[in-house]
Amino acid sequence: MEKKIAVYICKGCGIEEALDIERLEKEAVPKKVEIRRDHPILCSPEGIDLIRKDIENEGVNTVIIAGCSRRVHYDVFKFPSVVVERVNLREGVVWSHKPQEQEAPAEGEAQQEASAEGGAAQEAQTEGEGTHVDELIQEMAEDYLRMGIAEAEKIELPEPSKDIIDKKIIVLGGGVTGLSAALDVAKAGYEATVIEKAPQVGGFAAKMRKQTPWSYPYESLQSPVVEQIIKEAEAHPKVTIRTGTEVARIAGAPGMFDITFKAPGTRSAWDIPAPLEAAEGAEAPAQPPGADKATPENPANILAKNPDAERFGAVILATGWKPYEPKKEAEQPKKEGGEEPKEEEPNYEHLGYGKFPDVITNVALEKIAAAGTIVRPSDGKPVSSVAFIQCPGQGSDEDFPYASTVTSMVALKQAKYVREDNPDGMAYIFYQHMRTLGQNEYFYKSAQQDEGIFLTKADIVGVSENGGDTLTVEAKDTLLGENIKVSVDMVVLGTGMVPTTKDDPVLNLAYRQGPGFKDLDLFDGYSDSNFICFPYESRRTGIYPAGCVRRSMSIAECRDDAAGAALKAIQCLESAYQGLAVHPRSGDMSFPDFFFQRCTQCKRCTEECAFGALDDDEKGTPLPNPTRCRRCGICMGACPERIIGFSDYNIDSIGSMVKAIVVPEEEGKPRVLVLACENDAYPALDICGLNRLNYSPFIRVIPVRCLGSVNVVWIKDALSKGIDGALLIGCKYGDDYQCHFIKGSELANIRMEKIGEALLSLALEKERVQQVQIAIDEYDKLPGIISDFMATIEEVGPNPFKGF
Amino acid sequence: MADSYRVEPDLKFVRQLVALGGETLKKCYQCATCSVVCPISPDERPFPRKEMIAAQWGLKDKLVGNMDVWLCHYCNDCSTYCPRGARPGDVLNAVRAYSIMEYSWPRWLGRIVVDSRFWWLLLAIPVAIYLVLLGATGHLHIPEGHIHFDKFFPTLYVDLIFVPLHMLWVPLVFGIGISRLMKDMQKNAVADGRAKRTGLNVPDFLRYIVCTLPVILGQFKFRQCTTNKDRDIAHLLVMYSFIGLFTVTGLFFVALYILQAPGPYSQVNPVKILANVSAIALFVGILLMIRNRRKEKGNMSKGGYFDWSLIILILGLVVTGGLTELTRLADWRYVCYPMYFVHLVLVFSISTYIPYCKLAHLVYRAVAMAYSRYSGREPCE
Repeated sequence: MEKKIAVYICKGCGIEEALDIERLEKEAVPKKVEIRRDHPILCSPEGIDLIRKDIENEGVNTVIIAGCSRRVHYDVFKFPSVVVERVNLREGVVWSHKPQEQEAPAEGEAQQEASAEGGAAQEAQTEGEGTHVDELIQEMAEDYLRMGIAEAEKIELPEPSKDIIDKKIIVLGGGVTGLSAALDVAKAGYEATVIEKAPQVGGFAAKMRKQTPWSYPYESLQSPVVEQIIKEAEAHPKVTIRTGTEVARIAGAPGMFDITFKAPGTRSAWDIPAPLEAAEGAEAPAQPPGADKATPENPANILAKNPDAERFGAVILATGWKPYEPKKEAEQPKKEGGEEPKEEEPNYEHLGYGKFPDVITNVALEKIAAAGTIVRPSDGKPVSSVAFIQCPGQGSDEDFPYASTVTSMVALKQAKYVREDNPDGMAYIFYQHMRTLGQNEYFYKSAQQDEGIFLTKADIVGVSENGGDTLTVEAKDTLLGENIKVSVDMVVLGTGMVPTTKDDPVLNLAYRQGPGFKDLDLFDGYSDSNFICFPYESRRTGIYPAGCVRRSMSIAECRDDAAGAALKAIQCLESAYQGLAVHPRSGDMSFPDFFFQRCTQCKRCTEECAFGALDDDEKGTPLPNPTRCRRCGICMGACPERIIGFSDYNIDSIGSMVKAIVVPEEEGKPRVLVLACENDAYPALDICGLNRLNYSPFIRVIPVRCLGSVNVVWIKDALSKGIDGALLIGCKYGDDYQCHFIKGSELANIRMEKIGEALLSLALEKERVQQVQIAIDEYDKLPGIISDFMATIEEVGPNPFKGF
Repeated sequence: MADSYRVEPDLKFVRQLVALGGETLKKCYQCATCSVVCPISPDERPFPRKEMIAAQWGLKDKLVGNMDVWLCHYCNDCSTYCPRGARPGDVLNAVRAYSIMEYSWPRWLGRIVVDSRFWWLLLAIPVAIYLVLLGATGHLHIPEGHIHFDKFFPTLYVDLIFVPLHMLWVPLVFGIGISRLMKDMQKNAVADGRAKRTGLNVPDFLRYIVCTLPVILGQFKFRQCTTNKDRDIAHLLVMYSFIGLFTVTGLFFVALYILQAPGPYSQVNPVKILANVSAIALFVGILLMIRNRRKEKGNMSKGGYFDWSLIILILGLVVTGGLTELTRLADWRYVCYPMYFVHLVLVFSISTYIPYCKLAHLVYRAVAMAYSRYSGREPCE
């Protein structure tokens, strides 16, 4: 499409006072751009009208608006089928840079004007109608306008990818979370299918005697709500329930997942073969056979399509938890010379689990309690006193693995069972942490109020036999101020809930990057995302974990969590249907385009995509799945051949901006390219402007979708044209990453380390390229970070390539 | 401390504490705000936090016979600041009530005195004794002529009842109680290291009583209370008026039997003046106590039967005593003699039941305070 560009400069919000608008137009706008206008308040109805008229009458299809940041008024400067480019003169230039030479002191306007007239020859910077214009700020504005025009010339309006989308939602797991999610989905008008491994739905909640309170006054135990949920789900016309079923494979992408089911525990020709992603550096194993030759022993490769698979649009993962089973004492003697040792399991020999039949876990007690009066496993006699051990003790205040608020609440609940069954019964709870947050505190108080429930913080020394048929629990550092012993009929260990995703991929995705979520060891196996603002997001678009697979939750929490995941799944379907990104660039229509003729099959893009959006085709060429894509551009940053780009964000568009920066040869005017992540760093820079925090006028900021999308060629271009340095500002990476695209800033950091080596070979100093991490609320640190970098550049000296 | 203490919760004990006014005891979550704000607790192993968990766990042996329970003066600073409304002040009060009952002899009498169902029985005992005595000696009528109590209820009979009661019964019952308490207190305090001195030397202990007396008579501990300071004057008035009335009784006993000078005495007689002033002070003091208890004080209880039974008894005592004297002066014999009878019933009650009712604190608290100083828990000021 022929571009018809028009430039509009807004003079409001202090822009006119700080800049020479006439000169800005003259210097920065190329001659070929005929329509160039300014307006006192461009965002006013009159200003918008001005632009609209040009679009209608002059055939303008590319609008460049120089004024406020692109992060504001995006809804005002919105014109259908027109490329809109924003040039940030307000936050980025005028508000964040105070003119260096102060205007004349308060002696009066007259004197100032007189001196302006009289001394015009001396004061080169003082021009125009007596307004003081700082040359450095003016240069900055001119560069930004040039960069904006350069970018606008290189970008096109994105067109959505059109896929045929199925709007059914599949829910894996038929416990409280799964059924609730299915009901939420169904009530919103979508079809939901629940699959459950067990012969009946309900999960563990259906095997309980009572549940902890979920409604006011949050004080007494309530009958499990699960039966009601099961009834409702079974009766709902839009909910299909399949028991005795599990997933063999989930192939495809959001909106078009092709799912093959199988009976639990059986093997299928559609099981996922051993993950293709082998240890780092190793050759990927040969592809197993395709669909035609597949057998359960030798299942089909991940690209093979099962014609009998069922199609779903989005997946809710609600497979929940399994009980943590402490190592039994009988298992203690380790097999010498056996298989390689597994990860070290905690040792609870002192608690007598496995040695004394009446030392059991809370899950075992729940089963006994659900069956009737609580009796001892050893002799079937009803109990009169029970000790609940919440923390294994022996000097450590660590709870049992995977213990949580739920574990604390369960101890209180089961203590109440003891009291229900026997009016003179006694329940001791020994804890290091009593986690009863929020309304759970009411339950804690009500349990505490019971005369037969005894609570103390304690360090457990051990459990031993008491001569007779009781057990002795010994504890130290108690609230009673001394070491104590109690005789009890039974000991219950407060063990935790292990997420099903800990040892099992569960999802069985036919993805090149493997069958499950990645890097869950960061979260002890929980399907957590570490997306601090988006709890339901996973690293696989269209798959939303909910309930105890995310963290230990009570039944009430699971129901709420299910609603969240249901809404995310629906959002995914509707976004995919319109060809839009789901998250976090919700509504983004662009998607990466590959120029495959030049692909060398290096697989960096397929490896580095944090979301597994790319598979390999039969020949080993990347196979994009647009609906899996988050549009971050990490693949674009990774590609050494530079064949990946978006219609409105690509190597050329940003490269052209870099090239549009004017690099003066004179001393004392260094230039630094700042590539700022638009999720945190760029907004933080805007906030600096908003707060009138000043930073160096020698930087030129280009917002990027993610630091992971930064291609090193931009840096090379910048340095080879004489720009003195490049500063990348992105989000925190590492275990507590804050990167919206998980790996972006981390990958950028690796790439920049490598570019440092390349720079050395060009006799350029490594220090010229630096990456810093910042969170949006640390905006006040930015001026310091920038001035530190400027000091480094000053120390290193001007780029010798200047003027080449 | 190396040995472990075998915990055997006594649910019955917990229920009894609840019945005696400690119904909030289970609310404590061991934050120790109470021990921090208590103005009179020693810094080492302070109360009442540890007493609260012992109460929750039904550990009777940690509470009954614990001197700290008696060192508490029921200031209620703890209850005011308790974030959970667990009212440690009331819990310790309940423990004291239980202890008084536990150390009483015979114990069944102790149980009856603290039990609100039997108040009528306690009054019926003196009424029955008097009626039998007066009936048998032909005195069961209102005598003619000027009022002279000896005509209605011969003083000899009165003294035949009260002298043995005061000289033998009360000392005997308290003696048994004190010896039990001392034994338990020592065991308890030595076991957890609060007592720096482990043996018990009786003459030495008596010396510590002497150093404790000024603290009691000056109400020094009581005065350190902050939130419940207004009780100070009321308690002072009641305490000193009792001392005054006790002195008057003693002096008139001497006057009657040694100086052979029977009453009634002149209103300007110094001893009589002391009697009247004490009676008025007691009346004012007990009214102040009632007013104080009826005030709304947030986290503090307004007292239970154990508390109010004594207050009403004292009020009855001072009102009937005063009315007896006034009607005597007015020569209203039909009011005066019955009033005197009621007064004597109440005097009998307070004298006989001292070791079983709240008033027993005057002995047990004094002993515990002395022991605290003797054992080195508190310094002798």
